[in-house]
Amino acid sequence: MTSTLHREQLENAAFRAGYGALLVFMLLPLLVVVVTSFSASGRIAFPPDSYSLVWYADFFESTRWLDAFTNSLIIGVGTALLATLLGVLGAFGQELETDSVVGSVVAPVVLIPLLIPPVILGITLLMYFNEVGLRGSYASIILAHTLWATPLVYFVMRSVFSRFDWQQLDAAHDLGAGPVRSFVHVVLPNVKHGIFVGGLLAFIISLQEFVMALFLSTPGTETIPVLAWTEIRQALDPMVSVVSTFLILISVGAIIVAAIATNLEWVSKQLS
Amino acid sequence: MSEITLHELEKQYGETTAVEDVSVEIEDGELLCLLGPSGSGKSTTLRMIAGLETPTGGEISIDGDDVTDDPAYERTTSTVFQDWALFPHKTVRENVEFGLKMRGVPADEREQRAESMLERVQMTGYGEDDPTNLSGGQKQRVALARSLAVNPDVLLLDEPLSNLDKRLREDMQIELREIHEDLDETFVHVTHDQDEAFTLADRIGIMDQGELVQIGDPDEVYENPTNQFIESFLGDTNFVDARVTRTTGDAVYVDTELGTELVLPTDAEPAVDEGTALTLSLRPEILSIDQPSADGGTAADDTGEQLATDGSSRTAVTGTVENVIYRGSTVRYSADVDGTSMFAERTDASTGALSAGDRIRLEWNGADVLAFREDGTRVSL
Repeated sequence: MTSTLHREQLENAAFRAGYGALLVFMLLPLLVVVVTSFSASGRIAFPPDSYSLVWYADFFESTRWLDAFTNSLIIGVGTALLATLLGVLGAFGQELETDSVVGSVVAPVVLIPLLIPPVILGITLLMYFNEVGLRGSYASIILAHTLWATPLVYFVMRSVFSRFDWQQLDAAHDLGAGPVRSFVHVVLPNVKHGIFVGGLLAFIISLQEFVMALFLSTPGTETIPVLAWTEIRQALDPMVSVVSTFLILISVGAIIVAAIATNLEWVSKQLS
Repeated sequence: MSEITLHELEKQYGETTAVEDVSVEIEDGELLCLLGPSGSGKSTTLRMIAGLETPTGGEISIDGDDVTDDPAYERTTSTVFQDWALFPHKTVRENVEFGLKMRGVPADEREQRAESMLERVQMTGYGEDDPTNLSGGQKQRVALARSLAVNPDVLLLDEPLSNLDKRLREDMQIELREIHEDLDETFVHVTHDQDEAFTLADRIGIMDQGELVQIGDPDEVYENPTNQFIESFLGDTNFVDARVTRTTGDAVYVDTELGTELVLPTDAEPAVDEGTALTLSLRPEILSIDQPSADGGTAADDTGEQLATDGSSRTAVTGTVENVIYRGSTVRYSADVDGTSMFAERTDASTGALSAGDRIRLEWNGADVLAFREDGTRVSL
């Protein structure tokens, strides 16, 4: 009895150690990036010969980087809003129309953009947006990123809605709430955490997307990954590490915000 | 305060028909129970009255207005759902106020009304509670208060008591009955529990396979079922296969698997031919239990039938007790009668207690026996 328990503990510990080692190995480059961003010299070396914040100072003085940062935020927020709207309504509509033909084709149609290589999507969209006169606008990149982010929001919402008690919607209708008011008063409060997480996911997708943005952006709408690519081609200096560090911080920050948002109510319930 | 008319109501889901040709007039202030097994279409019928399902045929009118195409949120009905469907992110009071809020009732008036509704269902003081923390019975009360708060013309109850334990269910049945008497509103209550239907209903509508097979007062439905399904659904009974041997002006003679010929007295010339296969229903409450007069007494003494002058006929069979089951207030005896299993009940176990292996004599009045044809229809006797 005790020996089996002992063995189980050993196996557990070994598994955890292996898992942890693999995780550390995969995440180590992130640490390298962050450390090299504090380098004092003009080239990337790990570990750096000496440490300073000169590259951070450079970053905040470079209008090009700051503009790219602003562009990425605008496009990220735009994508998050549009993809969330489409993904939530698509998933909601499908729940209402489970038996219809329309309902059965929603999932495959939404999924298509994820299956097309971004290079092909990028070229195709470039030609398309030229044609309709959207070239060089934020809208073109937002639309491209929305193509990718919507399926993710959609699948997050499908799983959120699958846990929703649909009888509540019946009850709301029954008590006199029309389609819009029952959605606002009864459905939304139940799934708002899911919507928030879906939106954050869309934002992060947009923030790191490179290939389509490379095709579609102009100097005025250049995003961080695109500018980083351009810069790296000229010189591999620690500025790239600084920018990467900011991207990592934003992503980690977003995850923390999402975790807090989804658990806050639960936490407050536990405390009261 | 409303009457409801269902006219040839029909609901199909693709190829399957959930509800077929249901026509009924539900009177103002009536408490109608729709009773049937699961899948009989009773909940679908209720949901169509609520407007939560759209009929594929037929019409629904409430108070003379055709509401067939009106969505649920424009109807004057209110539903108590089986799982109560309380809004988990709202407090108990907000739940009860919801319908009033949707109708644009001012906040202070809403609160007053919600308070009085909670009082009515004995949930005073729970207004600020989270409904997910309540017990099943409490949720059920809140759901009832929420539906009553909007002062509906028709209250629809979709098996709201089926998730409660027996004791609580029986208490709630009585409370529902009282609330119905207080409000004098039309109630339609769906249930699969015949005890619940008999406790609550002014009238019972029996549904089977999407059709309303019989509707009437509880005693009428119980004593005069129109088909074999209803007879079997409304409580336990002994079904005995039989075949008509001859008919006379005042009786039908049948051969049974009990090994004896039985007489079914009739008032008029019965509509059955010689040789017709019948199923007889012998309810336990028409069977009286005895020990045979003498051990192995002659068949003529203890079994067989006599047609009495008043048209009633006493019939008796003897068998062997197979087992005895104590069911609280009653004792159920299962007996083997010439290879056929029958059961009968006694309320008092002490007098002449029988045990397994004893001989048993079952006697009944032939006029109390119901007979059904092979297609389930009742033979009027």
